[in-house]
Amino acid sequence: VRCQHYPPLRALQASAVLRRVSDEHKKEPLTSSSQQHFDSHPAGHQPEQEPQGPHPSYTGQGGQESEDYESEEQLQHRILTAALEFVPEHGWTAEAIAEGAKTLGLSVAAAGMFHSDGSELVLHFVSECNTKLSELLEKEQKLVQLGEAEKKPIDEFLRDAVEARLRMLIPYIEKWPQALSVLLLPRNIPSSLNLLTSMIDDICHYAGDQSTDFNWYTRRAVLTGIYNTTELVMMQDSSPDFEDTWRFLENRVADAMNMSNTASQVQSTGEAVVQGLMGAAVTVSNAETSRAVR
Amino acid sequence: VRLCRCGCRALLSRPAGALRALRGLAAGPEMHFGFQTVTEAERREKIYQVFESVAKKYDVMNDSMTLGIHRVWKDILIHKMNPSPGTLLLDVAGGTGDIAFRFINYVRSVRERQLQRKLKHHQNLSWQEIFESYQKDKLNSLGDSQVVVCDINREMLKVGKQKAQHLGYSEGLSWVLGNAEELPFDDDKFDVYTIAFGIRNVTRIDLALQEAYRVLKPGGRFLCLEFSHVSNPLLSRLYDLYSFQVIPVLGEVIAGDWKSYQYLVESIRRFPPQEELKAMIEDAGFFKVDYENLNFGIVAIHSGFKL
Repeated sequence: VRCQHYPPLRALQASAVLRRVSDEHKKEPLTSSSQQHFDSHPAGHQPEQEPQGPHPSYTGQGGQESEDYESEEQLQHRILTAALEFVPEHGWTAEAIAEGAKTLGLSVAAAGMFHSDGSELVLHFVSECNTKLSELLEKEQKLVQLGEAEKKPIDEFLRDAVEARLRMLIPYIEKWPQALSVLLLPRNIPSSLNLLTSMIDDICHYAGDQSTDFNWYTRRAVLTGIYNTTELVMMQDSSPDFEDTWRFLENRVADAMNMSNTASQVQSTGEAVVQGLMGAAVTVSNAETSRAVR
Repeated sequence: VRLCRCGCRALLSRPAGALRALRGLAAGPEMHFGFQTVTEAERREKIYQVFESVAKKYDVMNDSMTLGIHRVWKDILIHKMNPSPGTLLLDVAGGTGDIAFRFINYVRSVRERQLQRKLKHHQNLSWQEIFESYQKDKLNSLGDSQVVVCDINREMLKVGKQKAQHLGYSEGLSWVLGNAEELPFDDDKFDVYTIAFGIRNVTRIDLALQEAYRVLKPGGRFLCLEFSHVSNPLLSRLYDLYSFQVIPVLGEVIAGDWKSYQYLVESIRRFPPQEELKAMIEDAGFFKVDYENLNFGIVAIHSGFKL
């Protein structure tokens, strides 16, 4: 049985590592600053935090737990971010995490907080990339709304979005196959699938998809297929600046566009054929009745 | 030696509680020694004597009592630690050196793998350069990892040193006589602190935990391997049967010492269960405290980080 239960009356002891949040979040708007002034405890006190919520200044209803120190989750976040620069050398492993911890002034044993197969590192990286992509798309959309940029046609938009996202992998491309295998571990599949679907959803949303019928699923499924296949092509692409990959991407997006046209064409052809058959049947039956009458 | 403070934890409700009232106040606060009740000073003395007498047969008895499973438990502890080369380990109450030797083996194999990987990358070096780098790394087979074995009992340390010599462990190993409640080390020195089957014998567990917190570097890890509470009722009965009927007999037959092994079994029953120990570790200031039961709770590994 594992439980993460923190009783409010823990011994008051200053944390050795968890920094004061006020150092990090000085720029945060202090709309709930009344919470922070709640401090009736002395300065060097208990840093325990509610794990949910990245902005600790706004949590803490009881006020017993300090809101001045970062939480363990935030510290882990920092360690993983620092560990990313060691990935090209050590791969997505606990060693890279240990090196990352060292740069933050922590002991290498801090890597023991994570799984020894580097899962958290990969998931953290993917999540960061998705966030960066969202911000990029948001910025572009703002520009379009302000009239400073033109609205791109759908296929170009999708192409650019997928390319931007895949370009984030370039610094780690050597070790990316290892990362993919880690993402496919049964333990990680729920999280990695979650990240993938939310990223695809983001792209479709910013592309202007407002469908409310089954198309919603079809479009996302098609885009997921495009993304995954392009990623795999990128793994073994050795052309300068991955030109082959972008060309592959262009072709796949074009195929997807054509497919939707073809689908509607097939439908209308089908309808035409059916009408023709109906007409023939009516003619034949009329001929029969007229002969019968004679 | 620190002066005893009256901060004793309340003893568990056992018949000894009634006896305690009848005894009256002796020198210092009352503590448990197995199922007996003694003063703090007496307890330290008795425990020292227990280990002094079992030191020579300690390993043999471990094997026979646990049917060799203790080796697996210790292996699991080291795997959980997953030390990388360059780690500084402090093994407290490490007496005969089991954890230290396993640590050295693990780090050595990790280091070898690291060197192999490095060599694979160095495809374009001249033979001379390869030879030189190989030499340099060969001398550093542990990658600067070190383990300090600390124990309060001279006899246990003696046995440990003999074992090390016998098995050929020399580099990266040091032996220090010290009390877990008052470690002879500076602050912020070690990456990992382990105490395997030792914290049960410490008289003031809270002091030992505080010392552990003190000597660990920021980000350092505390690991405790100890007998713990079995919650499964059927297994618990079998375990009690085995503990009280078989183990002291083995102690008498193999080591010629019934009473020491009676103490051992009783001290296991007196030790706080998993959740309580977890709370104590959190009180000392550790974060991300968690425990893992091995063999349904016969043994538990508690882990915490100094954050």
